[in-house]
This record gives sequence, C-alpha cells and structure tokens, in this order.
Amino acid sequence: MNKSITKYVLLLVLAIFLLWYLLPLYVVVMTSLKSPIEITQRTYLLPGLELRFENYVEAFKLSHMSIINSSIITGAATAISTFFGGLGGYFLSRFKWKISKPLFVLVVIGMFIPYQAVLIPLVQLMATTRLALTYAGLILSYVLLNVPMASTLMGTFFFGLPKELEESAEVDGASKVQIFFRIVSPVAAPAYVSTAIIIFTQIWNEFLIALTLSTPYTTPITVKLAEIKGSYVALYNLQMAAALISSLIPLTFFLVLQKYFIKGALAGALKG
Amino acid sequence: MVSLGRGVTKAGRKFRTRISEILIFFLPLLFFTAILYFMVTWTIYVSFSNWEGVEPKYDFAGLRWYELMFSLSRTHIDVRNNLIWLIVGVLPTLFIALFLAYFLEIWGARKGESIIRTLILYPASMSFIVTGTIWSWMYQPDKGVINTLLRMLNLSFLESRFITDPATANYWLILIFIWQYLGFAIIILQASFRTTELQEMVEAATIDGAGKLNTLFRIILPNIRGGILILLSLLLISALKVFDIVYIVTFGGPGYSTDVLAFFMYIATFQQHLVALGACLAVIIFVIAFILVIPYTLYALKRWFT
Amino acid sequence: MWKQEKNRRKISRREALSTAGKIAVSVIITGVVAGVGGYYLGSTTAPLATITKTETRTETRTVTVTASPTITATPTPMEERKLEIFHWWTAGGEREAADAMFRVFKQKYPDVQIVENPVAGGGGVSHRVVLQARLAAGLPPDTWQTLGGAELKAYVDGGYLVPIDDLWDELNYANAIPKPLADMVTIGGHRYTVPLNIHIQNILYYDNKVFSELGLKAPTNFDELMNVVKAIKGAKPNIWPLALGTKEKWEAAFVFDAIFLEVAGPEGYVKFYKGLSDPRTDPAFRTALEKLKELQPYIYPYHSGLTWDESCGLVVSGDAAMVTMGTWAIGYFQSRGWSAGKEFGAVTYPQKPERILLGHTDSYGMAKGAPHPRTCRDWLRTVASPEFQIAVDVTQGGLFARLDIDPKEFPDPVRQEMQSYLRSNPGKLILDQHGSIAPFSFTQAYWDVMAAFIVEPNVEKTISDVAALFETYKVKEEAAWYHWGAV
Repeated sequence: MNKSITKYVLLLVLAIFLLWYLLPLYVVVMTSLKSPIEITQRTYLLPGLELRFENYVEAFKLSHMSIINSSIITGAATAISTFFGGLGGYFLSRFKWKISKPLFVLVVIGMFIPYQAVLIPLVQLMATTRLALTYAGLILSYVLLNVPMASTLMGTFFFGLPKELEESAEVDGASKVQIFFRIVSPVAAPAYVSTAIIIFTQIWNEFLIALTLSTPYTTPITVKLAEIKGSYVALYNLQMAAALISSLIPLTFFLVLQKYFIKGALAGALKG
Repeated sequence: MVSLGRGVTKAGRKFRTRISEILIFFLPLLFFTAILYFMVTWTIYVSFSNWEGVEPKYDFAGLRWYELMFSLSRTHIDVRNNLIWLIVGVLPTLFIALFLAYFLEIWGARKGESIIRTLILYPASMSFIVTGTIWSWMYQPDKGVINTLLRMLNLSFLESRFITDPATANYWLILIFIWQYLGFAIIILQASFRTTELQEMVEAATIDGAGKLNTLFRIILPNIRGGILILLSLLLISALKVFDIVYIVTFGGPGYSTDVLAFFMYIATFQQHLVALGACLAVIIFVIAFILVIPYTLYALKRWFT
Repeated sequence: MWKQEKNRRKISRREALSTAGKIAVSVIITGVVAGVGGYYLGSTTAPLATITKTETRTETRTVTVTASPTITATPTPMEERKLEIFHWWTAGGEREAADAMFRVFKQKYPDVQIVENPVAGGGGVSHRVVLQARLAAGLPPDTWQTLGGAELKAYVDGGYLVPIDDLWDELNYANAIPKPLADMVTIGGHRYTVPLNIHIQNILYYDNKVFSELGLKAPTNFDELMNVVKAIKGAKPNIWPLALGTKEKWEAAFVFDAIFLEVAGPEGYVKFYKGLSDPRTDPAFRTALEKLKELQPYIYPYHSGLTWDESCGLVVSGDAAMVTMGTWAIGYFQSRGWSAGKEFGAVTYPQKPERILLGHTDSYGMAKGAPHPRTCRDWLRTVASPEFQIAVDVTQGGLFARLDIDPKEFPDPVRQEMQSYLRSNPGKLILDQHGSIAPFSFTQAYWDVMAAFIVEPNVEKTISDVAALFETYKVKEEAAWYHWGAV
C-alpha cells in the first residue's frame, strides 16, 4: 500500500519534471512554425493558424553554411582538445615530476578563465600569428581555452584508474607511450566520450569569440542565429527553425559517441 | 625514479624514451598552459593600467580602478549574486542528476537508452541565444508559458512574477542553469557508474538483497568520488563564469538584481570602454576561483601525489 | 575470467581506438586545410554573393540636387578595388537596406568587390565588441557603421579614424545636411564620418484603432499625455496605456527624455547631458523624475523582461496602446504587417512648448590604416549621395540626412511629415543621449539607474546616484566637444 503511494508520488514528480524539461522544446517547435505577427500575439502554447513549414526551408537556406562551419570548427577543436587533454591528464596523474604539482594547480585554475577576460589578448595573439580571420584561428582559440578542462577531466579519471594494467605492461618492457595508446586509452573510452561531449557543447554554443574572430565565410551557427533574428525586425520564427535544424548536429554527435559509452562495462549488471 | 644516465645502453634507451615522454605528454600541456597564462598575465597587468577608451593604454595606474570597482555598489551586488549562483546552482544540479542517473541505470539497458541519453542533452545542443529567449518567454508574468499553463490548469495561485521580481529573479535564472546542465551531469555520473569494480560491487549487493536506495548511498556514492569531484568542479566553474543566461534573459536586471561579475565585466570592457575596470573584475573572478580551487587542489594533491 | 574479458575487450577496443584515431586525424587535417584555405579565400578576389537582388529599378523621380562631382583619379596600381565594411543590418528590412547600399555603390563603381561583416545586435551592441577587439589587434576594416556622438569620439580619440574634411568640402556636405547633424560627427573641428540618415528618438507610436475608438488625439505634452493614459486606463482596463521593454536598459531613458525635454527645454537638455548642470540642484531634472513617477502606474509593469521590439509587439498584439521608440520601430511594425498612418500613428513627442527632434545618426568614416583608402573614399561619396539615401533610408526606417531630398520619397505620411518639418527647421535637431552626448562610460550606468527608477521610483536616490555618475565618469570634460545652439 505504502509502495504504491510512493510510486504515484514519484510518477507525479517525474511527470512535472518532464514537463519542465520539455516545455521549452515545445515552444521552440511551435514558434518556428508561426509568422512574425503571430509570435507577437504571445500565444506560446498554441500553434499558429497554419503550420508554416516554409520557415524551415528559409532557415535552412540561411543557416546551412554556418552549420557546416560550426561542425568543422567545433569538431576539430574538440578532437584536438580531447586528444591533448588525454595526454596532459595522463601526465598530471602518472608522472610525479617536480613540476607536476604546480602545473596541476595552474591547469585547474585555467579552467576558470572567463572568455571575456581573454578576448582582447586572444585577438591580438591571433593577429600577430596572422591566423585571425581563418578557421585555424578559431580552432586554435578554442583549443587554447579547453585543453585545461580536458586535461583536468581526463586526469581525474586516470587517477581513479588502477595501475595494475600499466604496471604489468611496464614490467613486460612497454614504454609509457605504448602503454598509453595501447592499453590505457581504450579503457578510458567513457572518459574520452564524456570529455568530448562537454567540450563539444561548450565550443558549439560559444558566442563571443566566434563573433569576434569569424568572417562571413567562417560564421559559426551561434553568430548566424543572432543574425537571423536581426537587429530591428526580430524574426524569431526563422531563428527557432534554424536552431532546431542546427541542433541535429550536436545531437547526432552525442548519439554516435554513446556507443563507446556503453561498451565500457559489463552492461546490464544493474538490471533489477 | 628513472635517472637520466648515460653510457649504459639500457639507460640510453631510457633516456630516449624519456625524451619521447616529455615531447608527447608534457610539452603540449605546457605549451597550451603557457599561452593561456600569458593572456591571464596580460589581464592582470591591464587591471593596473589606465586603459579606458578604445585604444590600448598600458601606462601604470596603480590601484585606481580597483578603488573604483570596490566603491561601486554594483560590484558588491555581483559578488553576492555569484555566491548565490555557486551555492544554489551547483548543489541541486548535483543531487537531481544523481537521482536521475541512478534511476536511468536501474531502468536498465532497454531499447532506446541511447536516444534518451541523447535527448537529455538537448538543452545543450541549442544555442543559448535561442534557449535564453524561450525561457524569457516562459517567465513572462502576463502571457508567458508557465503562468498561462497554470491558469489553464486552474492553479492561478501559483503564478509568479518570476524574473521581473528583483527578490526572486536570481533563483529563476538558476533554474535555467540547472535545466541546461542536468544532461552533462547525468552523463558524467553515468560514466563513473560504469567502472567494472563498481558494477561488481553493485551486483554483489543486489544478490545479497540490498534495496535500491541503500545501494545508492552505501555502495555507489562512496565509490564515485572521482566523478562527483569532476562534476562539482565543472558546475562550480560554469556557475562562476555564468554570462549567457544573464545576458539573454535579464541583462542583469531588474536594476542590478541579477547582475553577475562576468556580465559586469562585459559591459565595462566593451560597452563602457573601461577595459582596465573589466580587467579588475576578471581578477576578482580569478580570486574567487582560486579560493574555490584550493580545497579541491589540496584534496586531489593529497590523493594523487602521496 | 577477468583477464580473458580484458583481452577480448582490448582487441575490439583497439579497433575502436584506431578508427577514432583515424577520425581525429582526418578531422584535424580537414581543419587545417579548411583553415589555410579559408585564409587564402579571404584574400583572393573571389566574387561575393552579397548582391543577390538583380532589380532594374529606374528612378523616374527627378531630384533637384547639387551635382556631386566624382573625381576620377588615375588608379594606384597597388590598391585592390575592395571594400571591407562592418555594419549591423542583418535581417529583414535592414538586410534589404544593406543590400540597397551595396547595390547603389556597385552602380556607381562596378569594379569594386565588397567584403562585408554584418554583426547582429541593435544599435551595434555586439558590433562594438568585435570592433574594439579588432582595432586593438591592429586589424581595422576600411569603414564601419557608427552612431556619431560620443561613440565616434571614442574612436577618434583612439586615433582610429582619419579626418575627412576635404571630402566634405568636395561634396559640400555641410550645406546639404542640418547643421546639428553635421555637429554630431564633428570632433575638435574636424569631420570624421558621413551620416547617411537620422534616427529620431522621441517618437510616440499609438494604436490607431484604440485612439479612434476613444476619440483620442495624439498628445503633444505631458498634461495631454496624462489625460490620454487615464482615459485609456478608464475605458479599457485590460490595455496598458504605455508599453515599455527595459531589458536593454536604454529604453527607460527614452521615456524619461521625452518628459525631460519638455521640462528642461532644448538648452537645458543639452546642458544636462554635457554635465554642466548639477542633478542635485537642477529643478528640471527633479520635476521630470516626479512626472515620470506620476506616469509610472500606467506603464506596462513587466518591462524588465522585454526587449524593445517585444514592447512594440505589445502594441501590435493589442496589449498596450502606445510606445515611445525611435524611427527604427517603423521597420519593426512593417515587418508585422502594420503600416504607418493606417494601423498605427506616430508623432514626435513632445511638441509643446517647442517641437524638438532628438536624434542620432548612422554614419561611415574612414579607418586609419584602411587597407583600401581610395575605394573607401568612393564609398563615402556614395553614402553622401541622394540616390543612396533614398534607396537605403526608405527601406531601413530612418529619415534622410540630406535636406534636398523630397519627403514624398517616403511611402508613409508619418515620415513625410517629419522630414518636411526637419527640412524647414533644421536647427531643431539635438543629439540624443542614446547616440550620444555624454561618454558611453556614463551613459551605460545612467541607463541602469533610469531602468531601476521605473521599477521603483525613488526620486532622491536617483538624483544622488546620477550626480555620482556625472562625477565618476567625468562627463563635463568628456562631453565638452559637443555644441548645440548657444551651449
């Protein structure tokens, strides 16, 4: 008897939670199918008089180049950051050099740097290396800002990894490099995946640096979405449609990476 | 420890290995950290300079801008707000994510688990420009989504003024933060659930007949300290650096009630052209970060290096 | 058992990792190639598809204008015919206006390639950020959109703009536009930019339906305004008399300015924003605040969560009857299918005792160290031309900068009337605080104080806060460059 009350309460809580979590998505979809004057009416919950799927066509035309740009930039920056993060994290957790402690502190604090604080020196740096208005410049900027986080995330994971695997391999004569790539990394797949997801999302959604260092050729999607809405005309419908279309990329990315996530364990051990 | 010997072939090989170790593991990290800190040093220097206006001015001005910053009431409100964000934003996210992650694990590897886990991340897959706008629509007191829904369900007494009420605005913004970060939190926690030893322990406990909640608190929690630590630092950082949500949803208003340091920094640097003042604010963020980081660092150092 | 598991996993892991590795490497390579490619793409003369409209519009109206001579100098072999330009007109009607700009430019100078960098964000909010970072890094474009006033001064002080007095003389531009407009872009006696329009700040928009239903006329001073708001509130309690959206803070200053202008008069207004009158002792400031306090109950209460366009939306959706906004709102209303004179009316406010227009301008100058100075000068000449201003201003929503263009070029009666008024009374134009007279360091904080006042009208506190702001940001010194009338 007690159990079913708890169950109902839990279900209610779950339902409210789901509502709260999914309501914004619903509003995005509804708004994307309206016309500007309907949006002005602020009937957010109700659909418009007609469902204007042509908004999506228009939005796609406006945004497809940016989606490609963002994919290239974010994908490359994530891959590079995660890669170096893995290396760096391994260093911080396994190599007990004199410099490890101070470097570790610096790296961790480095995660706290707000983008606004480094925007100006970053642009100056990019200008001197003549990379300022290119894909490479943007990618490098994001890598610079995300390697600390990647290193810390991977480092914390490696710390929790028991050393027996590596020690036995070392006894067998393998070098640290070999151990890292052949033995440790495969086991660290879930950590790589989590790190990649986090960094991907941070970069994909970043606005300020994308705004400053991009050109009309390299406009990432965050900047493009702001453009689509416009300064004076507030075209929310197109903006929402474009946002939905562009969100498919990160979602697909997440979906693809899930595979490596699940394989990491004796799956189903918790099945009640 | 391996010594950099010479002459002996085994030591020679160790030397070469050591070089490759340095190159691959150490140098990249050092390189990136160095560049990053070059930029940090620049910021610290500018905070002591006289840079106001569009063009760079690097002449030394001492504590002038720090004095100004501390004399503004806005700074104090900001620090207070950031602290609220840190406490009220981080802990609830952690707890909710913990329960949800566990719940998903219990639910088991049914079909569509990947899809669910992907959908959980949808808030993070749409640009904050859009999600911020949506949430400001959700919160509009007269025709916004939430209040309209409450009216439809005859629950009008629950209506709120949300972000237009200076007293509660911060908390509604923090709710958006939680909404944004739950997905990540669940992912990270699930990654830590999935270590083999933990799985074995849980299996053993289930066989022994332990209840679900018991398992969560007695077995899982103590053993995912690493994951919780990561998650905690990630959330603390995001809460301290929060800018996007404030920028889009309230712009620091009403008045300064939702203003935060990162936002004030943006206004000071780029709209008021008071770059030195902005740098001072950035330094304050670093200081708070440092204070936060010290416990984490001490803990991790103790565990990792002893 | 344990080791067997591991070995099995290890093998499939290795495959997985090598694929992941290959993916990573290929992504990195793609990234580098794209990066290098993009770099070179950016510097070659690849045709840019900014001009997508191929309209053949034949101008049938004859505009009497003093001919603007185009000096065809022999081209310097070094300079590419390219123009790098920053602006913030990115969507809808603004985008059309931007396209119109470039279309006219290309008609006059067909050999130019235009490289534009549009940065969305009304009033150049984000644009300012990008520009500051780029200028500090030594990467200026040829020209950029700027509001004139204190913002322009910030760039001039930084040495980022080149004086263009000779161009003004060549085009006789000082005589083609209202003197106050020319003064907005004149710093230290030199001209720095070419204004292309005038955006009027103090306009009162109203829902024609509500007004005709209640038999109301557009108010021309504060007392009439109070009568109107009370009438609306009485007859239609579900409608808010005055819409407002203060999310970006500056909107609050618009409402205040409209009241302040009437109380202080034009000279008082200018003196105040130049920091020459003390808020603590200035009776006009105090009176204006108290009047705003009187108006406050009739203003939409949830304004802190709305942007300016959403506040105009309140009028369109019938939730509010009036809104104070600048001329750019016309573009917004049009995008919602409302036309000036039909669904909505608009008047400058206040009109008694004196009808003053508060305005600022969009203008373009020439960067110091511009990569293509000759092309830039051609651009500036185009900006000053009547064909350009007709094509652009009609679409974008501002008034013409030039006085010699026929107001009938505007399709709506509202702007026709305003332009005619300006034509006959060019001296009635003042630089508004948005544009602005006082330095931006002050203006930003001032907006915050005003927005807070509308949330909680505390006159004493606001007066002392504003007085402190004037001192902290040294407004008296920084605004001394601006002159209007005798001030």
